[in-house]
Amino acid sequence: MKRVIMFMYMLVGFSTAWAQTKASDKEWAAVVDAAKKEGKVVVAGSPDPVMRNDVIPKFTARFGIPVEFVAGRSSQIVSRVQTERGSGIYSIDIYLAGPDTSANELYNDKLIDPLKPLIVMPEVADGSKWKTGKVWFADPQEQFIARAFSGVATWLFINTDHVKPEEVRHVKDLLNPKWRGKISTEDPTTTGAGANMAARLYYQVGEEYVKNLYVDQKTVRTRERRQMTDWLARGTQPICLNCREDDVRPLVKEGFKILEIFEISGVPSTINGSPWMLSLANKAPHPKAAQVFANWILSKEGLETYARGYGSATLRTDIDESFLNPGNVPKKGVKYFDDTEWKWIVTGRHENRDKVWQLLKAR
Amino acid sequence: MKSPSATLSLPRFRLHLRPIRMAEVGFLVFLAVVMGLPLLFLLSGSFNLAAPGKPAVYGFGNWQRAFTDPGTLSALWMSFLLSVVRLIPAMILSVMFAWLIARTDMPGGRFIESACWIAYFVPDFPLVLAWILLLDPNFGFLNSLAKSLPFVEGPIFNPYGFLGIVWVHTSTGGIWFKVMLLVPVFRRLGATLEEAARVAGANTTAMLWRITLPVLSPMILAVAVLSFIRGLQSFNTELLLGTPVGIYVYSTKIYDYLQREPRAYGEATALGSVFLFVLAILLFFYWRYLSGNKKFTVVTGQGYSTLRVKLGRWRYAALAGCLLYVAVMMLLPLAFLVIGSFMRRYGFFNIASPFTLNHWYNLLADPIFLVALKNSLIIASVTAIGGILLYSALAYLLVSRRTITAPVLESLCWVPHVLPGILLSLGVLWLFLATPLRFFLYGTVWGIAFALILADSPVTTQAFKAGLLQLGADLEESARVSGASWAYAYRRILLPLLAPIAAAVGLMNFGSALTSISTPVLLYSHQSRPLAILLLEYSFTGELERAAALGLLITLIIGSMMLIARKLGLQLSRSD
Repeated sequence: MKRVIMFMYMLVGFSTAWAQTKASDKEWAAVVDAAKKEGKVVVAGSPDPVMRNDVIPKFTARFGIPVEFVAGRSSQIVSRVQTERGSGIYSIDIYLAGPDTSANELYNDKLIDPLKPLIVMPEVADGSKWKTGKVWFADPQEQFIARAFSGVATWLFINTDHVKPEEVRHVKDLLNPKWRGKISTEDPTTTGAGANMAARLYYQVGEEYVKNLYVDQKTVRTRERRQMTDWLARGTQPICLNCREDDVRPLVKEGFKILEIFEISGVPSTINGSPWMLSLANKAPHPKAAQVFANWILSKEGLETYARGYGSATLRTDIDESFLNPGNVPKKGVKYFDDTEWKWIVTGRHENRDKVWQLLKAR
Repeated sequence: MKSPSATLSLPRFRLHLRPIRMAEVGFLVFLAVVMGLPLLFLLSGSFNLAAPGKPAVYGFGNWQRAFTDPGTLSALWMSFLLSVVRLIPAMILSVMFAWLIARTDMPGGRFIESACWIAYFVPDFPLVLAWILLLDPNFGFLNSLAKSLPFVEGPIFNPYGFLGIVWVHTSTGGIWFKVMLLVPVFRRLGATLEEAARVAGANTTAMLWRITLPVLSPMILAVAVLSFIRGLQSFNTELLLGTPVGIYVYSTKIYDYLQREPRAYGEATALGSVFLFVLAILLFFYWRYLSGNKKFTVVTGQGYSTLRVKLGRWRYAALAGCLLYVAVMMLLPLAFLVIGSFMRRYGFFNIASPFTLNHWYNLLADPIFLVALKNSLIIASVTAIGGILLYSALAYLLVSRRTITAPVLESLCWVPHVLPGILLSLGVLWLFLATPLRFFLYGTVWGIAFALILADSPVTTQAFKAGLLQLGADLEESARVSGASWAYAYRRILLPLLAPIAAAVGLMNFGSALTSISTPVLLYSHQSRPLAILLLEYSFTGELERAAALGLLITLIIGSMMLIARKLGLQLSRSD
């Protein structure tokens, strides 16, 4: 008798799930139909070859909806959007922006709408497809800003022709006089990756370390990422604090002996939500097309396309991660410092960055 | 009894006053709206302390923060030093080049002039990288060559530092822009004055010093002012060559505020106001210098000769000097740039099979490329023609001395030159969105062309003004006495005489429109994206080789336009 009841329960449960799936399939199909009628979707983000060459063609091929990609620096895009809105113009549907812009500008200035209720694509809404059990919304209300990536951040790159990995095992190894003038960084005195790292070091290791590293070690600063990568490859500055993985990858393919280091003693390893966080513009001119794009970019196809092009670990469970550098994938049981954590982005990073600027600019 | 001239001038006064006054009022309103309003928006915005999108709260906080920021004053001093140090040799060289090309019998002048044009429009970012490849103390090509010499131990060149920045600037922007503007006015100089000096026993140096330079001084000074302020605003080269050795310039500070999140346009505008202050001082002295009567007239209705100064055997030495300069400052880095566009990785000769056609293929296969090319050609053509029409008329008004608001008109014309490009773009964006202009200009190629025409106003107006100052009033008056209407005289007398200047500034504006990034950056849409924005996107994503290929392609387009202009008779380098 018990078995019959169990079987009945399972049958009802399965039927309900099946019915729900059918319902959400129908809902999704209706959204896609409406989106096609809107004719296009306008996405704003950083100029990005992956976006232009891979993501947009795939999305358009899948749904027949053209994507207008407004590419530019976050600060410029937000300026433009603010000015447009002052005149009642709403031109953007979707933002693919960095954590700082998403939290401190788009969210803070109320330029975005809740995205969570619009997640209806079955494979996106299905919590089992996410390492976090559901789509991760980073904002306090868990409604507005979706985080799709979480990879271990590179701590530094070294050119092993000039630096042996065992020579930079501990964070204080970088203070070895041998490396004076041999470390490059993105300029920490202006907004960007260099300042973010310096703020993190200030918070995690302390003021004296930041002074020793950036001033006493005569760390070479630049604002041009290509310059840093070239210095790394040539060995002029064989230790690079802020080189980007997608810049370095072609050099590794060319046979340059460059090693990406994710973990170093003395500081916790870091994870972040790079390359972007997803949000939906309020008063979007193409709301249904925006909904389709937002759902699709969070789907297996959308995220995998991006992840393969950019080389970053996603939060989905169904994406094969063998193409990634194993160090980029967070390990279970390890406690990471989350560089995209809301409170850190909104207050901690800014406070520590200001202290770094005071320290470095005074010199 | 009235004198004949008074009898003649009275009806002219009556006839001319009304249209001139109407034109003056028209220009005043137009410039006040398109130049003054954005400036007003920016200045009032700089006092707004509220966060973007919040109700305005006014105060001096942004200004205080900007000017008490550590390093601001030292950066301003560094910018000033750099600007002065590179201006003086560059001005001397440019005047020498322009004189040799336009006033002497030096052979190859056309080639040298063309080289200046092409050099000016080569994108500076990859060119700076080319200089790094040549001069870097660790891997620079020239240092490697020098090390093979027996008496050389360490590296002898280093681009990182003050002198390196000055040197590279001399190559990327140095004299090219100045020569382009100076050659047409040097060419317009009648030889009568020089011949008179010669008859009076003056040698070539005395003639150049006592005759040629003084009568051409309005343009030389205008170019010097333009270059000085441009020098203060420069920061691309300084970012690459100064930051690694701790040299920061004033524009870097402005740039930092513009990139900040949340944006700090208030602080950026406060710092930018220093350029307004510098400009006001320079313009005061410039106007005082120009005040006077017919001081600079070199073309009159009483005969005109363009005989060139004979250099004798020095003509080949002069050519050799010019060629050497062009070879070192332009061809050497340009060769690296061309090679770079065919390299798998720019500057890396030691990788396996370093050369490829992929970057060119990827550029031409980019689906955005053709649309951007079409947009750019429309924008550049409209900008060039619009600028000529608008600013030749404005310059005529300014020179006619019949306007009562000339200082205001001229000051408004200079506004775009003292605003950092991105702030100008923001100002124009506000202008578009706050007025009905938005319905037909915002996000379109026409809107971008409109903004670029505004951005071109200082150079174009000054070039036309200097050209018109060279023309004697008797040219127009004799036509009027002969019964020609003002419009007929303007079309048949003034415009042909101004054609070389019009061709020069038209081509310059065409080229600038193709390469300008900061002006369209807030104004373009998906449909109106120009090539320069595509180039920015390639650079931003580290696709330097594809950016180099695109930069070269833009230079090729400008070179082709120069040839077409010549074919059409707008001869740039041959005086009649």
